Amino acid sequence: MSLTTGPAAPQAAAVDKSPHGGGGTGRDRRGNRSLSKHNLTGWLFSTPFLVLFGVFMLFPIVATLLMSFTDFGARNVTRPLEAEFVGLDNYTRLFQDDKFLKALFNTGYFVVVGVPATIVLGLLAAILLNNGIHRARTLFRVGFYAPVVTTIVAVAVVWRFVLDPSDGLIVSLATEVGLTAPDFLGSETWAMPSLITMAVWRNLGTVMVLCIAGLQAIPADVREAARLDGAGAWQELRGITVPLLRPTLLYATVITTIGYLNVFEEPFVMTQGGPSDSTLTVSLDMYREGFNFFHMGYASAMAYVLFVVIMGITVLQLRLLKDNTR
Amino acid sequence: MNRAVATGSIALTLASAFTLTACGGSGGAGVAADAKQTLTVWAMGTEGEKLGDVAEEYEKSHSNLTVKVTPIGWDVAHQKLVAAAAAGKLPDVMQMGGSYLGEFADMGVLEPVDTKTIHETDYFPAAWQQGTYDGKTYGAPWYVDTRVLFYRTDLAKKAGIEKAPATMAELRSAAEAYQKKAGTKWGLSIQPGGLDTVQSFYQFLYSAGGAIIDDDGKAAVNSAAAVKALENYGSYFDKGLSEKSVRPGYDVTKDFNTGAVPMFFGGPWLTNLIDENYPDLKDKWAVAPVPADQASVSMAGGSSLAISADSDHKAAAKELVAYLTGAKGQADWFERTNDLPANTEAWTSGDLADDPTMQVWRQQMDTARATPSQPKLTEITSKVDTAIESVTQGKSSAKEALDKAQSEIEGLVQ
Repeated sequence: MSLTTGPAAPQAAAVDKSPHGGGGTGRDRRGNRSLSKHNLTGWLFSTPFLVLFGVFMLFPIVATLLMSFTDFGARNVTRPLEAEFVGLDNYTRLFQDDKFLKALFNTGYFVVVGVPATIVLGLLAAILLNNGIHRARTLFRVGFYAPVVTTIVAVAVVWRFVLDPSDGLIVSLATEVGLTAPDFLGSETWAMPSLITMAVWRNLGTVMVLCIAGLQAIPADVREAARLDGAGAWQELRGITVPLLRPTLLYATVITTIGYLNVFEEPFVMTQGGPSDSTLTVSLDMYREGFNFFHMGYASAMAYVLFVVIMGITVLQLRLLKDNTR
Repeated sequence: MNRAVATGSIALTLASAFTLTACGGSGGAGVAADAKQTLTVWAMGTEGEKLGDVAEEYEKSHSNLTVKVTPIGWDVAHQKLVAAAAAGKLPDVMQMGGSYLGEFADMGVLEPVDTKTIHETDYFPAAWQQGTYDGKTYGAPWYVDTRVLFYRTDLAKKAGIEKAPATMAELRSAAEAYQKKAGTKWGLSIQPGGLDTVQSFYQFLYSAGGAIIDDDGKAAVNSAAAVKALENYGSYFDKGLSEKSVRPGYDVTKDFNTGAVPMFFGGPWLTNLIDENYPDLKDKWAVAPVPADQASVSMAGGSSLAISADSDHKAAAKELVAYLTGAKGQADWFERTNDLPANTEAWTSGDLADDPTMQVWRQQMDTARATPSQPKLTEITSKVDTAIESVTQGKSSAKEALDKAQSEIEGLVQ
């Protein structure tokens, strides 16, 4: 729905506006010429995409917006035109809905803790694999990347085993050394950190791959020069690696933030939002309202609120993190 | 990251778009029962897998028919049915979970059951009630399920428990005895919170004489009986007799096998599951009726068979449904799936008549209470889930939690 496609557009546009981009506008101008034979061929080739885009993206996006102003419910599935126009009611109701506010808070929590953790650990893994570990490097790369391509259901089975409060891996290890492990998924305090850990584990591989690509683009002589000047590992990281990786890190931060603002799968398979809604995220709340209770209008409004939040945060990030020195 | 949401919403918007153009539907006179035709049938879970075999048998005696069974996973069943209903493309015959029926009947996509050929008196009252919405019957009862008490007999001996607990007071003291004298980790396993906690609570609620929606169709979840039932339910968590931690995907049979959990309320399918997975446990456990409070009343679940209002093959579909819900068809179905027959006549022969374990289920079914057919049932029960969780986690009293649920449910009942 709009959530996955919406943010992609502003992001792409913004990247183009960055100092490295700029090619996009030129091509646009060419498209403004009158419909030549040249152009017609182009349109013909794009038709399959445009049709699919229209049917599967544009139409749902517009339909969702319209639906968000109605009380569309289960009985309207067979009688859609009987849905009543309620104006902004759904939107005003949302901000009086404790459950939604809690979901908004939880999603924020997920982003604030999860994004930095994913970026830092992804970067460290990349540096480690790029410089540190020379033997078995491929093995480690695959190892770190495997979680990214594993289905969430398989991941859930493994993590449930790790976190199980009676005979799980962590509990068993803790008991072995005489400690008491908390009940990770069953406690309101620990459930969210457990899910964030899982998400970081699943996503740091993506950041790592991006960073490895970026690291390999840094010329070796820059590093050599720094070393000759007597820079240590920390100074090299601060003075060379991070600044030169800036565009990569910005991109990684933006996509990770968008991903975590949409977080759905982890709470869906692991906790169903519980205990006591402590892991209820906006996407999960929206799914429930929409597909369990059939408050399609209300869920659509939720989708648009989430869209605006994502859009706002993405623009803000691009402003703040963009390299202003150049 | 939220592909499920995306696909779901696309499906739904598309589905609603189709209806704009394809209103009406045929629903005409249809094809005669003995004409050559293909019947489409949708069924869920294990039923969907096993029904194909029955269809093959059925085709042998009905050479004009091809019966095409499509198995659907329970996890996607609701969405698929809604999308199909919206597109006017429901199968001729479909399995309807008890909680779905009200919603689809309300949409007007189901054909009323012909009560001249399928008689109310042949079925358990709760099973019949489940197929009924707004005074009309839309689903023919296919199979039923209910909850009874599973308990460890070997540990009971250790704990000095001589017979199965017959009252709620005895249940409590049995739980305490198991924990203190037989050294089990917990006394009784009941769900502390999360989705469908209400299924665990029904045994307490109904036995105390309470209900979520009373017989007049009004929300009644904060009645004195319901408050008393929830206080009783919550006290197991207070006293450490039941596990407070909410564990998604929890499999109680594992802890039942190790003895960590000596008692729980469970459905008929668990009998086979325990026999197959834990053969060593044989003769170390038994089932008993729900301990009585005012009475011994369990929940009734199960499925009906419904016919699409738009079907062109209603005549043949009715014959198939009559066979599947008839005494002979149900006895055969029990052999294949161990699903409990909804038709009481099916219980008069074979294992169903002789096996003492089966008699416990039979007895429980007689008084079991069905969840009401309501279009917004899922939402209604989720409010009760929340109320139960706030009590088991010690956040509010039973009265406060149920008063809150009552005010929320009032607006949802139709």
